[in-house]
Amino acid sequence: MSEPAVVDLMAVCLARLLRDGERVLHGVSSLLPMVAVNVAKRLHAPNLVYLSVAGGVDPSPPRLPWSSTDQRLTVGATAIFANEDFYDLCARGGIDVVFLGAAQIDRAGRINTSAIGDYDRPKVRLPGGGGAAAIMPTAGRIVVWRTQHTPRVFSGFTFFAHRPISLQPHSSAAHAACQQTILGYFLLILLSRNSSHALRSLRTIPRSKPRCPCSTTPSTYSRASPSQPLRNRPSTFSMSKPTLSAYGIGSSSASLGSSSSTPPP
Amino acid sequence: MPVAGLWGSDIPAQSGLKTVRDPYTGREVYVVPALRPDWAVLHVHEADAQGNARVFGSPFWDRSMSRAARQVIVTAERIVDTAVFQRQPELTLVPHFMVAAVVHTPRGAWPAACFPDYEVDHTAVRAYLAASRDPAGLRAHLAAADGASVVAR
Repeated sequence: MSEPAVVDLMAVCLARLLRDGERVLHGVSSLLPMVAVNVAKRLHAPNLVYLSVAGGVDPSPPRLPWSSTDQRLTVGATAIFANEDFYDLCARGGIDVVFLGAAQIDRAGRINTSAIGDYDRPKVRLPGGGGAAAIMPTAGRIVVWRTQHTPRVFSGFTFFAHRPISLQPHSSAAHAACQQTILGYFLLILLSRNSSHALRSLRTIPRSKPRCPCSTTPSTYSRASPSQPLRNRPSTFSMSKPTLSAYGIGSSSASLGSSSSTPPP
Repeated sequence: MPVAGLWGSDIPAQSGLKTVRDPYTGREVYVVPALRPDWAVLHVHEADAQGNARVFGSPFWDRSMSRAARQVIVTAERIVDTAVFQRQPELTLVPHFMVAAVVHTPRGAWPAACFPDYEVDHTAVRAYLAASRDPAGLRAHLAAADGASVVAR
């Protein structure tokens, strides 16, 4: 059997971040998450609730469209859940996973889709974040994805140094988001840096879904206080590295819950 | 209006967003000023002569835009009798009193989609992207596209 294409593996990796029964949302320009959600729903997560910017609830299109906004993603849907609806749902803690794209991702898991360089005189004006800034602190987990992996994309992130990555745990939601973010692109960067090793490793990924030890149920997480922005907070949480074993890569251990990371206070 | 989230983002500072204290929980909440455009132009599947309008499939932001704007122009694939709306009033997305004008524009969303009536015309979009690199090309393309959309009907 020939090696699968890297992009297919990316889709499979994203699919395996999803658990059965979760409410999952992707937005515009999210072809890879669109494929991943459909893969997950057809394989290990049949009860996943599939929401998208196209508005269909649990669509089952016979063919996937060229755009993740395409209304073919309403075919077979049991309801139309318009954009106001899913933003409101996310705001009240009702969405478990949201996929977000990014032009840049930094070591704290923050993403940039606004501008590169000075905001008013940018080197590159980016399309903007859509609702990402509202969704990132309120969704249960955020998976940031990016198919191109270059140092410019992972700004300020030193992958091979294994230095402690400081997260800000005061908001458990933000914490979970950061951690999931890091884990998500950890996987993807692994694919790009050493694809043959990644291919071997990925075959060992167990079917069980990873569990974030710091994730909380949507109704119980606390939101960050605006008087103390995340970036200015003291770092009281660290983990030695986002564990590959969380995803069964290079290890027989499957659960993130068994990793050595310290849970937030 | 209050908006959940935004914490930790540079966007509130960049946009000058302010917070208020939620009188019930004591938490600070970001609030954004209302967007109040003069006009919303909505392309719908069906409208009647009074301005009632309905969309099949997903309305995306049509509902919000119709409420935010001071005036609404509806462009419609089909003009139907008011009786059609009366049979299923729950399907009416924009009621007539919010609508300033109705325009009968079959294939009005082309080359984008008006699903399920028609899907995105990817060939036409690609041609537009190629032609729109310079003003002369764009002018020629628009002139040609006008005829093309008539043919496509």
